[in-house]
Amino acid sequence: MIRRNIKAGEGKEGFPGARGFYDPEVWAKVTGRARYGIDLALPGMLQGKILRSPHPHALIRNVDLSRARSLPGVRAVLSGTGLGAKPYGIVFDDENPLALDRVRYIGDEVAAVAAVDEQTALEALQMISVEYEPLSAVFDPEEALLKGAVTLHDDFPGNIAWENRINRGEAEAAFKDADLVVEDTYALPSFHPGYIEPISCIAESEKFDGLTLHTALQSPHIVREILAGVLGLSISRVRVISPVMGGGFGGRVYGNLKLYLLAAFLSRAAGAPVKMQLTREEEFTVGRPMVAAMIKMKMALKEDGTFLARQADIITDNGAYSAQAPWVSKTLSERNDSLYHIPSISTRVRLVYTNKVPTGQYRAYGNQLANFACESLIDRAAGKLGMDPLRLRLKNCIGPGDTSVHGLQIKSCALSRCLQDAADAIGWTERKKGRGYGISAAIHAGGSIVFNPDFRGASARARLELDGRVTIVTGEQDYGQGAHGAFALIAARALSRVPGEINIVSRDTILTPFSIGALGMRQTTIGGRAVQLAAEDLLARIRDCAAELAGEEVVPEGGAFRTSSGRLIEPVGIAAFYCAKTSGLALTGEGRYVPEKSDYDQSGYGNIAVTYSFAAHACEVEIDRETGALTVHRFVAVHDSGRIVNLLTARGQVYGGVAQGLGMACSEGYIFEEGRVANPTFSGYRIPTALDLPSIETLFIQTDDPEGPYGAKGLGEIVQVPTPAAVANAVANALGEPVNELPLTAEKISRLLHGWECAD
Amino acid sequence: MDKQVVSFNLNGEAVRVRCDPFSSLLSLLRDRLGLLGTKAGCGRGECGACTVLLDGLAVNACLVPAGKAEGLNVETIENLSRGGSLHPIQEAFVEKGAVQCGFCTPGMVMSAHALLKSDPAPGREEIRKAISGNLCRCSGYVQIEEAIAAAADKLKD
Repeated sequence: MIRRNIKAGEGKEGFPGARGFYDPEVWAKVTGRARYGIDLALPGMLQGKILRSPHPHALIRNVDLSRARSLPGVRAVLSGTGLGAKPYGIVFDDENPLALDRVRYIGDEVAAVAAVDEQTALEALQMISVEYEPLSAVFDPEEALLKGAVTLHDDFPGNIAWENRINRGEAEAAFKDADLVVEDTYALPSFHPGYIEPISCIAESEKFDGLTLHTALQSPHIVREILAGVLGLSISRVRVISPVMGGGFGGRVYGNLKLYLLAAFLSRAAGAPVKMQLTREEEFTVGRPMVAAMIKMKMALKEDGTFLARQADIITDNGAYSAQAPWVSKTLSERNDSLYHIPSISTRVRLVYTNKVPTGQYRAYGNQLANFACESLIDRAAGKLGMDPLRLRLKNCIGPGDTSVHGLQIKSCALSRCLQDAADAIGWTERKKGRGYGISAAIHAGGSIVFNPDFRGASARARLELDGRVTIVTGEQDYGQGAHGAFALIAARALSRVPGEINIVSRDTILTPFSIGALGMRQTTIGGRAVQLAAEDLLARIRDCAAELAGEEVVPEGGAFRTSSGRLIEPVGIAAFYCAKTSGLALTGEGRYVPEKSDYDQSGYGNIAVTYSFAAHACEVEIDRETGALTVHRFVAVHDSGRIVNLLTARGQVYGGVAQGLGMACSEGYIFEEGRVANPTFSGYRIPTALDLPSIETLFIQTDDPEGPYGAKGLGEIVQVPTPAAVANAVANALGEPVNELPLTAEKISRLLHGWECAD
Repeated sequence: MDKQVVSFNLNGEAVRVRCDPFSSLLSLLRDRLGLLGTKAGCGRGECGACTVLLDGLAVNACLVPAGKAEGLNVETIENLSRGGSLHPIQEAFVEKGAVQCGFCTPGMVMSAHALLKSDPAPGREEIRKAISGNLCRCSGYVQIEEAIAAAADKLKD
């Protein structure tokens, strides 16, 4: 049920106590006292540097480390053959910490050095001589699929890293019977998460085979398992401690595993802590952007606008190694099918190796890439049917209680309301001449339960402290998106306390419960629910202890307890009583949120998340027909993320996500020249500045979700999903012609304008 | 390059440092003087995370040779909350939700500080121009702009 519709700056500010409450870490950040990875140093620390391949594809004939080893100040020099490490990966094992006999992209790691300072390490790199035998290379994924194309990995013939086909319903028949078939091909480049703090780490290898790694990660517990596996260590002897994180957006779920592994190997070899840090150029050239995608798509509709079927043939560009790209490709190929009622689906997706920068993940896992294709094609169909694109969407919207074509079980859902409100806010019925208008909608999974089908939920601990405050211990991660603040508000609500009385402890694998981490919009929905349950469990235990202390019945009153004889027992007294009684223990509560097991089957059919969030974005644009320059004048983002925990930070998520989506739509993207990244700088890659953005209006449709804590659902990833398509649809509307490629630079729009004039 | 003594005023105190005058002011501040509040995001003057004030003007410390500071006033984020209380700009950043990951925040606050010194009542366009050299990936700048406008009001009072 839709309860309340809040506009930014009006009405409620979120959960009780949200107004005027700020996560304490904000003070450290705003005064410059917060310590990020780049700020860290340890006594005796060495600096590590990596020698990288200048060739996109070559055999390594010989690596001579002897001169580098003899340079004064050098403490360790490593090449692939000396490491004895097994191949590793995230979905499959196609990487080595250092290349063994072959390099596969410009930037591939060949050797690593640790020295007393950065200058010495860089000098040592120049003293390593490597004999390469260049091989022919392939940069275009379609060429990589051709017979006779050079193969990157012997285990993956035809350069197909991963492939999937999905067939639901009767797509072939639907296309035969359809009144209208529309089709087109859409292309998107690789996008980088673009966090402003470059990834860094300090590895401390210890005697007796331990490792402490200082680096900010969205999923430290999972990275710990991977590191232990590659380094041959016991998991419990590997500890990951996260400093404050300078932006993640999916790029720090696994961060840069190779950097962490090399720091650990160097530290082991040198017997000292080793710090390593990517330069900004390295972030772009060897960091892990999201896959580029080529999407051939076809839709079948009835004359009245009913969606009948969708067919897609998708190629995603993996680069040289795969990391999470198979999962990204899977989400990309499926998620948008569950936004509307589409009875038949036929999809093929192929993830293809090329001799380019390896890919990873970025906020929303490719959902936004396919959204551009799907939502653009819906506008095409609306045009052919002579139907309003808004009305065509509203006719086919998925709704509460529905099960989607892929088996997603929709609980709370205000999708049609999001669309209608976005259209109203942008002035859909009073569209001005000379401007273009576009709308797009999105669904995103809120709290994945199939990342690991046996481990679907989250846990948390709550502890009553001697000062009466409550500490929540969680394995979930805050990196500025507001998770800690949300957890404090959730716990405060469960305990009838003010959020300022809640401490949050996370970011250290030795202290916190195992968690999958900050991905798949898990934090508020799944992590927050565990916090709620832990706080409720603690409250019951505090109450029992209060009754024992008082020797009579008690009832909760505010954060304290009233005895039947009228005395008030405060948490401080209860904590002291319990501590003395147990010789030092504290009252604790445990929260275990275990979502129902999914019916997810071999074909990928079934529910994949505890719940789903929805959104619709709309915008108004203007094209300068002389220069091709695109101006986005106004942007409206309407979201159903259930009950809003903290309106101030929720607005911040939407503004930031829209800005990233506008970057994808208007200016960002990798440019390659013969496999080399041609724009490995902020100025070349062009993330938006303050001058590039329109006014952004946010609106939240508050549904009450049955799964999330007090009705809340995830927000952090979906904020970017409908943005690129909304802009593309507005540009297509302004031009009167379809748009097939992002980003929509002035150059690209000029070429389109020019091309159409010629064609006419 | 040979080392030289560089003397300047840092956050109100006279300092004399022996350093390579062609190394960056950023590395002098962070690596030699331990002022880690100023961040390093690109080393090419493109992200603005290292913004400090040089005689009141916002500059990218990564592009300024240390020797350039000779005889000048250098102000960093550490100077704004001396004595433990927040500067009105910092207060406004907290209250308006302008801080997410926080990595751009010190540079952003210093750009705002330079702006409000020269223009106590800037319009939204002046604010946008003043922070256009400071990249933020989290916020879409909206709440940062709101914070700077609110800080201007606070400083008027």
